[in-house]
Amino acid sequence: MTAKPIIEIKDVYKFFGDLAALSDVSLDIKQGEKVVIIGPSGSGKSTLLRSINRLEEINKGSIIVDGLDVHDKENDINTIRQELGMVFQSFNLFPHKTVLENLTMAPVRLKGMEKEEAKAIAVDLLKKVGIREKANVYPSKLSGGQQQRVAIARALAMNPKIMLFDEPTSALDPEMIGEVLDVMKNLAREGMTMVVVTHEMGFAREVSDRIVFMEDGRIIASAPPEEFFTKADHPRLKQFLDQIL
Amino acid sequence: MKKIVVALLLTIFAVTPALAGKKVINIASDCTWPPMEFVNKDKQIVGFSVDLMKACAAAAGYEVKIKNVAWDGIFAGLAAGKYDAICSSVTINEKRKKVMDFSEPYFEVQQSVVTAKDSNAKSLADFKGKNLGAQIGTTGYFAIKAVEGVTPKSYDEIGLAMEDLYNGRLAAVVCDDPIAADFALQQEEYAKKLKIAFVVKSDKAEYLGVAVTKGNTEVLDMINKGLSAVRADGTYDKIKAKWFGSN
Amino acid sequence: MKKEKQVKIEVTDGASIPDSSDKGILNAWWVSFIGAVGIISYLVITKPDPYRDILLFIPDGIVVTFEVTICSIFGALIIGLFTGLGRISSNKVINLIASTYVEVVRGIPLLVQLFYIYYAMGRVLQVPDMLSAIIAMSVCYGAYMGEVFRAGIESIDDGQTEAARSVGFNKQETMFLVILPQAWRTILPPVGNEFIALLKDSSLVSILAVADILRRGREFAAESFQYFETYTMIALVYLLITLILSRAVSHMEERLNHYDR
Repeated sequence: MTAKPIIEIKDVYKFFGDLAALSDVSLDIKQGEKVVIIGPSGSGKSTLLRSINRLEEINKGSIIVDGLDVHDKENDINTIRQELGMVFQSFNLFPHKTVLENLTMAPVRLKGMEKEEAKAIAVDLLKKVGIREKANVYPSKLSGGQQQRVAIARALAMNPKIMLFDEPTSALDPEMIGEVLDVMKNLAREGMTMVVVTHEMGFAREVSDRIVFMEDGRIIASAPPEEFFTKADHPRLKQFLDQIL
Repeated sequence: MKKIVVALLLTIFAVTPALAGKKVINIASDCTWPPMEFVNKDKQIVGFSVDLMKACAAAAGYEVKIKNVAWDGIFAGLAAGKYDAICSSVTINEKRKKVMDFSEPYFEVQQSVVTAKDSNAKSLADFKGKNLGAQIGTTGYFAIKAVEGVTPKSYDEIGLAMEDLYNGRLAAVVCDDPIAADFALQQEEYAKKLKIAFVVKSDKAEYLGVAVTKGNTEVLDMINKGLSAVRADGTYDKIKAKWFGSN
Repeated sequence: MKKEKQVKIEVTDGASIPDSSDKGILNAWWVSFIGAVGIISYLVITKPDPYRDILLFIPDGIVVTFEVTICSIFGALIIGLFTGLGRISSNKVINLIASTYVEVVRGIPLLVQLFYIYYAMGRVLQVPDMLSAIIAMSVCYGAYMGEVFRAGIESIDDGQTEAARSVGFNKQETMFLVILPQAWRTILPPVGNEFIALLKDSSLVSILAVADILRRGREFAAESFQYFETYTMIALVYLLITLILSRAVSHMEERLNHYDR
């Protein structure tokens, strides 16, 4: 692993009116590292994740991704975002495009890739997430779990360096959570840098290199899973873990 | 059945004259036709025919009420009994005579062609391939429709046609000569760009008459009586001189 | 997937679009359609003078009406698209321009606008009458269309924008590749409706000496003095056209839902 972190979050503040959604948040993430962010709702974990690819603007501090300041208007955010795959709670597939088109659209448009090449890559990715046979249907025909797997494949189609997951299983029926987590575990094994906001503690324990606990816009604890669960010394963290475990 | 429906619909809008002593004749006029009949700056209906109708009434012992009615529906209104007569520079022709009766002619007109000052046209045929304008349902419009190779355009009001002529959308406008003279010579802006080029040649003289519903001899007789009276005592010539000068 | 917001935009001035689920309107459509066709046929056959003559007098007027309507709807769509985008723009100046345009146009009766644009353009530019009429209609309907576009765009979930931006599309790509193709589905029914409303309002251009259906009818009436007969025919012809169009729009709506089924 390289010494220089691929994501450097430094002294970040974000306000919604008077409310500090993020306050004095600093976090470094190394290449290949898998970081899981947990915390009660409203703790700022999604806001932090979304500010990494500037879906949220920050008010203070800086976020450097692969050497580029994400929130510096001089930098082309659209190019930076191509390095940051994002998966949403609500999938957000493009309903007017087929599954395959959902995957090929961005590479063809943004990377100038040949249609055939993009298609081949897309088919490979669909195989990887296990829904090769659904390539030509529209997203509305798919179950939630299938849609989320397509969404992951869509993000991967741009060949990003980092994958951001914003509660990827929260909108799923319980029986579908496993299939999505399996895809994510495979991705982790391949060495992808991942930042995951989730409530899935099993996944956090099994996959992550580090777990970050947030509350009221602050990072309260940050440790490898072993240490995190055994030495949960912060009272708020303890309380939170008691509730969800 | 159809007649009843029409009658019903139109009576809703009909104006019943207030009768007081003298017989009142309601006359419709499309007051967009200076100097024959138009609305002046004080919103008064004035003009040659207006003065004439008033003089006739005074001479023959009745009253007239003149109402401003859009040309497009003026004959329909007469047929529906909304007024007793139309005095609106209506040319007496065979087609109209079939559906209405006319008074004695009260004025002779010719169809004048108004066009741009720099035009060399000598007849309507010279406007081949161009747009010609006139008011809908007027003698002027029938004249341009009869010309081969031109596009006739019908307007609700002669003024709108004149404006389009002034703006270059039309090559010429055809209308009664007094009106042509008023627009092309009297209106300052138009006079700068427009002229009366020529008069449409016709083998038959064209006369204006007051129209009444077919068979309405009562009103027709009253108007004719008035007309002959004002012609006899010189009032007619005075009114004509007032609006058109002494020649 | 979150349930997509399905916004139905109601427009008051179109025709009622027969919806296969609305039996009442559908039955009314058939009654009106068969009625109109029946009455026209009956009149033309039993009283060819004047009804057949009227019908033969107006076809070029129908062509002109369609020319004006079709050209104007395209003009209005283009103006409407930019107005709609302007109305949701975060750029204050653009937003103000678009909003002011909508406000001004909506505050002036169409007839007055037609007169104004027609004669104003006559003074400033040498624009032929037909084109002036089309521009005037486009400018007026563009404002209404702008509101349709705005509502259509706003009906699309924010998640779509976020997803598109996250893969690296810029604002324009997001709008034209992701948002508008979806918004189109919400936009099309009111656009179809506006089309029919515009066709009816196009009768106003007859004041501009544009020889549309109504103008032709008035010319016929002015010469023959058969006002009742002429306007009966004109009304039936307009009704028949709007009935056919409303049916076409409803078919188009149903086919447009393909990625939902």
